Amino acid sequence: MDDRHDADCGCEEYNELSRRQFLATATAGASAAFFPAWLPKVVMAKSYASTRDIIVSVFMRGGADGLSLCVPFADASYYTSRSTIAIPRPDASAATRGVNLDGFFMFPQAMAGGTVAGTGGLMPAFQASDLLVVHATGQLNNSRSHFDAQRYMEVGKPVDPALVTGWLGRHLASIPPLKPDAPLRALGVASGLQKTLVGGPKTLPIADPTNYTVGGSATTQAARLAFMQTDYTPAEEPLHSAALDATNTVALLKTVNFTGYKPANNVVYPTSSFGRALRSVAVLIKGDVGIEAAQVDIGGWDTHSAQDPIGGSMFRTMQDFSNSLAAFYADVIATGFSVTLVAVSEFGRNVRENGSQGTDHGRGTVMFAMGKGIAGGRVIMKNWPGLAREQLDSGQDLKVTVDYRDILAEIVQRRLGNPNLNFVFPSWTPTVLGVTR
Amino acid sequence: MRTSGLTTPERSAASDASAETERPSRRSFVFFGALAATAFLPNQARAQSRPRQRRPAEPVPEPEFATQPQNESVAAFAEWESTIGRLVRRATYGATVAEVAKANQLGFQGYVNYQLNHTRIDDSAVEAVVAQRWPLLSQPSDTLFSADAGQVRSQLQEAMIYRAAFSQRQLYHRMVEFWNDHFNQDIDKVGYLLVADHRDVIRKNALGKFPDLLKASAHSASMMLYLDQTASRNTAPNQNYAREIMELHTLGVDGGYTQQDVAELSRVLTGWTVQGRGVFAFNPAIHDWGAKTVLGVTIPAGSPSLGAAGINEGEQMLNLLANHPSTARFISTKLLAWLLGPNPTETQISAIASVYKATGGDIKAMVRAILNDAWLTASPMKLKRPFHFLVSSLRSTQPTIATMSTFNGQLNNLGQSLFAWDTPDGYPDKIEYWAGNIVPRWNYASVVSSLNSTTTAVVDTTPYRAGSPDAAIDLIDQNFFGGEMPLVTRNGLLAYIKGGTFNDARVRETIGLAISANAFQWY
Repeated sequence: MDDRHDADCGCEEYNELSRRQFLATATAGASAAFFPAWLPKVVMAKSYASTRDIIVSVFMRGGADGLSLCVPFADASYYTSRSTIAIPRPDASAATRGVNLDGFFMFPQAMAGGTVAGTGGLMPAFQASDLLVVHATGQLNNSRSHFDAQRYMEVGKPVDPALVTGWLGRHLASIPPLKPDAPLRALGVASGLQKTLVGGPKTLPIADPTNYTVGGSATTQAARLAFMQTDYTPAEEPLHSAALDATNTVALLKTVNFTGYKPANNVVYPTSSFGRALRSVAVLIKGDVGIEAAQVDIGGWDTHSAQDPIGGSMFRTMQDFSNSLAAFYADVIATGFSVTLVAVSEFGRNVRENGSQGTDHGRGTVMFAMGKGIAGGRVIMKNWPGLAREQLDSGQDLKVTVDYRDILAEIVQRRLGNPNLNFVFPSWTPTVLGVTR
Repeated sequence: MRTSGLTTPERSAASDASAETERPSRRSFVFFGALAATAFLPNQARAQSRPRQRRPAEPVPEPEFATQPQNESVAAFAEWESTIGRLVRRATYGATVAEVAKANQLGFQGYVNYQLNHTRIDDSAVEAVVAQRWPLLSQPSDTLFSADAGQVRSQLQEAMIYRAAFSQRQLYHRMVEFWNDHFNQDIDKVGYLLVADHRDVIRKNALGKFPDLLKASAHSASMMLYLDQTASRNTAPNQNYAREIMELHTLGVDGGYTQQDVAELSRVLTGWTVQGRGVFAFNPAIHDWGAKTVLGVTIPAGSPSLGAAGINEGEQMLNLLANHPSTARFISTKLLAWLLGPNPTETQISAIASVYKATGGDIKAMVRAILNDAWLTASPMKLKRPFHFLVSSLRSTQPTIATMSTFNGQLNNLGQSLFAWDTPDGYPDKIEYWAGNIVPRWNYASVVSSLNSTTTAVVDTTPYRAGSPDAAIDLIDQNFFGGEMPLVTRNGLLAYIKGGTFNDARVRETIGLAISANAFQWY
């Protein structure tokens, strides 16, 4: 464990606590008895809880094609590699042309409002310098298996079968709660807890936060919940903590008005499951109930065939992604809430399209970071590796030039105020790239 | 058989109490009064307050220095003492009193053999209901082509729930669920083709030989479409199926293949595709006839003049995969995890892999070897996944069912809508994935125990109200816990049922609490 101060953190005072002290102080009055058994010594900051960002972590499941999400139109090999699925340059006359970002990269229209005007979608956040695109990024582990690649990315350390906790779960475990008495610190909008959050104290999967309750007669509900409390008292972990957190969270979410929620700026969230999930997260953030992390997933990126980023399958997926993020930006981030959103995918896709107008599993892709504390309005990478055949990983894929943990680690330290990077990302020494302000 | 359209073919004889009714004596729970009180204690202290019995044979690492949460090995309830109870819980979707009585009558090995000789168990009552209620499932693909997609989906889902709950072939259906995940497909992608796959691949071979199952799957139109084999051709091979057949279906991700093997196998499999309405076909016109090497085995260059014989390259590779030692280990490890618990020992894996090799991948032989008293005794409890949880509640409540759509919708709420997991790895069987999803279970318990509508389903509370409240709890013990209800649950249910007027509503709520209880989540 690295117990040193990090001057870059901007935090004033730290206490070094043993695990025992941590349990006694940080989680006293809270719960989470189950999880911290493996928690090593961590550095705890005393006085910056109120300045931390809330984090919304998005996983684009299936291996998102970074070359369609943020297109390097100035690399001629993009067009020679993709005879049927390339998006026309911003200076083309085609009505399907992309939207110029910096003279080298462009958004497809699907990411910029869906029309040739290119003023919607993620463009407002990008132009306000609140949206950062990291390109030629991903993980150094070269698995092309969805399941391995997702697992390692979510765990935050490649090829360690013994590590089952996720990076965000470990972040939560190594920092005191934003609100000491919050019954729910983090949620995964899913039926089962995503690996990213595993290990987080007071962290639950909630598929639909707008309807999280125990049914039946209202008059007997308290007595029935009391039965549950006693019955689950001797329950083995992790069911014990889950039952405790669940009963407390049912009570908490009863106090939140989801149906009457009016987003700021007359924002309308997409009615897709991703859009609804971000809307629910927005309600919880604005409700100030103590949520400090949310994991939200969006699928549909495994585009082996009929990818069509111009008007078909991937167009719709990108539009859902960008419009949902845009709504969240206008509703929450632009209105001043301290929130950082990150979006990652397990890998990108082959540079050359296959015989079915799709792309197979590749390597480098893009990730996104959005927030007032993000130095955005840019597409960054460590030197564009190029798309010519001889420039590719294994002769077929965009190289990974930035390990995704470099981006996440800087956000964890500077936006989430957690100096325990060796614990959140074990065996990784991050390079600070200046993605935060 | 009951009257209203769809019925449960067998109701457990509630009065037919078996011998398995001994009260707990060895274990005294430590009560903390309120859950919150325990929450402040570190994990280790809480763990020490509970007796640990029937731990796995291997030492469990000290929590203090463990590298992962201590949630992989969960000791069984002290009340779960009987050998037969352990067997029935693992081999079925719920130890009802009737099932436990049957097992006691047959004896341990007799019951294992009874369940494994599944074709000798008369299932005609259940199959008659399935045929009448879900007629699409027996149709060929070219008929299903024009069937309503929503009907196809719901018929597949509802029949799988119904069969699992009410078929006497319980172990067989546990294995159907296992293989359904092993060869998982998403109906959103494959549609009506999945009917034939589930019927002619999974259900047909669930207790057969693994190589037959593998080959049937590889000749399934549905699988070809699901893993993009239909999009693969000599000029541009698609690697999706070639990868997953090695990673997920046979060798396992650590089974010793490389990306080069994936690429080469994808070339071997070019031409394996679908023609017409759901007919598997080999199309020599799009086959790559060049030489390939997969897992060190070289296939010499062929010639288009070989035509249909080009399929033999792929058949040779299927045999290679089916006979590969990594496949024997991978399948054995997964079967052990399914039937016993998440961390099988090296001894267990080697033993079952040997059975695989000796029997040519005979699934019955492997299951028979796994279900022995010593291993069952040493295995930790497993958390029921939502499907298992819902099905076991149907076995315990034995509702008269007019429509299964209620239960199908509930399973969706619980997070395990059937045939709807979109990635080919199938629904996880991990405690840490499902444990947090407890509130939907409590909700479901409330819904199912309240069912009293002849147009949906009726749970009859009459037997529970025939005697005293104490007798009602005894009956719950029999029907829901096979006579081994933990003491803490018994005390809680007794307190609840006596906490109000002893009427239909109170009994239903008490049944709902039994389904909500900690002990009902495990098997």
